[in-house]
Amino acid sequence: MNTIVVAQLQRQFQDYIVSLYQQGFLDNQFSELRKLQDEGTPDFVAEVVSLFFDDCSKLINTMSISLERPDNVDFKQVDSGVHQLKGSSSSVGARRVKNVCISFKECCDVQNREGCLRCLQQVDYEYKMLKTKLQDLFNLEKQILQAGGTIPQVDIN
Amino acid sequence: MTVEQNLEALDQFPVGMRVLAVDDDQTCLKILESLLRHCQYHVTTTNQAQKALELLRENKNKFDLVISDVDMPDMDGFKLLELVGLEMDLPVIMLSAHSDPKYVMKGVTHGACDYLLKPVRIEELKNIWQHVVRSRFDKNRGSNNNGDKRDGSGNEGVGNSDQNNGKGNRKRKDQYNEDEDEDRDDNDDSCAQKKQRVVWTVELHKKFVAAVNQLGYEKAMPKKILDLMNVEKLTRENVASHLQKFRLYLKRISGVANQQAIMANSELHFMQMNGLDGFHHRPIPVGSGQYHGGAPAMRSFPPNGILGRLNTPSGIGVRSLSSPPAGMFLQNQTDIGKFHHVSSLPLNHSDGGNILQGLPMPLEFDQLQTNNNKSRNMNSNKSIAGTSMAFPSFSTQQNSLISAPNNNVVVLEGHPQATPPGFPGHQINKRLEHWSNAVSSSTHPPPPAHNSNSINHQFDVSPLPHSRPDPLEWNNVSSSYSIPFCDSANTLSSPALDTTNPRAFCRNTDFDSNTNVQPGVFYGPSTDAMALLSSSNPKEGFVVGQQKLQSGGFMVADAGSLDDIVNSTMKQEQSQGDLSGGDLGYGGFSSLRTCI
Repeated sequence: MNTIVVAQLQRQFQDYIVSLYQQGFLDNQFSELRKLQDEGTPDFVAEVVSLFFDDCSKLINTMSISLERPDNVDFKQVDSGVHQLKGSSSSVGARRVKNVCISFKECCDVQNREGCLRCLQQVDYEYKMLKTKLQDLFNLEKQILQAGGTIPQVDIN
Repeated sequence: MTVEQNLEALDQFPVGMRVLAVDDDQTCLKILESLLRHCQYHVTTTNQAQKALELLRENKNKFDLVISDVDMPDMDGFKLLELVGLEMDLPVIMLSAHSDPKYVMKGVTHGACDYLLKPVRIEELKNIWQHVVRSRFDKNRGSNNNGDKRDGSGNEGVGNSDQNNGKGNRKRKDQYNEDEDEDRDDNDDSCAQKKQRVVWTVELHKKFVAAVNQLGYEKAMPKKILDLMNVEKLTRENVASHLQKFRLYLKRISGVANQQAIMANSELHFMQMNGLDGFHHRPIPVGSGQYHGGAPAMRSFPPNGILGRLNTPSGIGVRSLSSPPAGMFLQNQTDIGKFHHVSSLPLNHSDGGNILQGLPMPLEFDQLQTNNNKSRNMNSNKSIAGTSMAFPSFSTQQNSLISAPNNNVVVLEGHPQATPPGFPGHQINKRLEHWSNAVSSSTHPPPPAHNSNSINHQFDVSPLPHSRPDPLEWNNVSSSYSIPFCDSANTLSSPALDTTNPRAFCRNTDFDSNTNVQPGVFYGPSTDAMALLSSSNPKEGFVVGQQKLQSGGFMVADAGSLDDIVNSTMKQEQSQGDLSGGDLGYGGFSSLRTCI
């Protein structure tokens, strides 16, 4: 094991994850999730976020269909989708996504289709962005492990 | 399960507790599963409510606890909650991203034993096993009437099953009914030997709150509380049921978030309300003829009554009041003249419960009022008879009061000494008591209660200090009694007060009129209310008390205008959400108002 390489990777990992928090992509809930990962469930976090992104994709799709026709928008459906998205994003710590959901809900409450469409677009953007970032993070983790190191537990406070 | 089995299971608890987790959101479900596993529970998950029901029906003993999301596409979480509660009688915890108190309330009224907000934290899940233990204990307690009391802690949502077995699984609903206390009390009484009702005096409640604070509200368990309190002859069961009431009370008044704050203040309030010692406990002579003209005297409203009621929830009640021993005569026509001191009566009276179970007399008064109207019962006071009001419909209230567990405590306390002649806020209780007793004594109505204390949730209103029925005393106190409770707006904790009903807050300025006083007395009147209260207007004080009523079952005053008011208030109250049943039934308050 090349300790220098490992140390470097670990450092990189740490910086990267801290930056994600600082930029508001992630919040404390994500740290909680990381704590739940252990030897018995080494891919827990990756699995959870993967499920989350799946959910995002599905919900966005459904909402998009509901919002498609200007004359016949099923706001109830959209609201339910937003609610669920909000719940899951807050559970994984996807802060930006969650924040968009809050605005999204407001547009929905007043039945503002335009606003909803904008929020929908934004949600789509945010979750994809987060997906990319987390992908990079997991890659770093993998590299660390492959280099024989351990993933640092980062305290974000 | 037999007791032994229960014990064994408990030995391992909470490790291995079998939880069924239901959430249509796969992300959340996965996280929940992991969290639960980390708490060392045995977890089964499903993302469909229907499937969950099947699993549960397949084998009722397969799970100990259910955690379910609220918004699910195939079935409403609340519906699932009800079904599980009714069919399987298991504790159910609700989970939701909705933090709106309405949802929380809905959860509570549908029988959930807890309501968690997403994202769920592991700390919150670490303690959920208590709901299972509680539920089991209650069941044991109910079924083993041979003294095997496992100190069943009051169950917050699931318990009491045993009690209600006979009535069908309506516990949940019953919980919020006026009958709750009665049921529980009956159960207590029937369980093994008749237990001596514990009177939750101010001191006792103080100790209780201190213990809970020390342990941390979330972690407070009856056994630990009991140990900390170190009170002889107090059983875990007593503490458990008191704790339950207290929790309901806190939740009711402040919403979950503020529980801690309330708790911190509750003691104070409570104390204030109860006129902790020192306050004038003035015994009200029964029969003193001071009660003159009923109305005026009564006006001041027998604080006792109200107070007494407050206490009831926790059973505390008035017992300590010096009121007439007879036990709550309330409702007895014959008793009317007697004014039994409520405090001395154990809460659960076996007498038909009509009494407020320990509630002071207010009911009695009502009876007087309504029944006798001028009559006989008033005996000593002819004038009273005329009065009509003073205690309108107490009788009705009675019931409500009783059931008002914890939450109702409200107001009574109110007056700290501000009141004249020594009528301490709590005096209200006393007054009430005396009232009842005293109805006859027509002394002048107690001085307007101006209570410096805000009513804030009194969790346990201490029983009126006086135990002696002293109608006169009551009168002595001052006619101002009008509302003892509310005194000063400063209620301590009051934030929790029921702001939904600002009106309820005291406002009474005129009792007799049917202004809608909004009885809903809340615990602590909102700041505005408080201001009102503090305005040293006896009437106002009264109002505060009324707030309390609001929360609970109001009893509708029968008396004339008050009745109307009360009624309207009550309706208001009721619409507020099934507040724990019977909160003190402050219907009396309205009557009090008139008293003023």
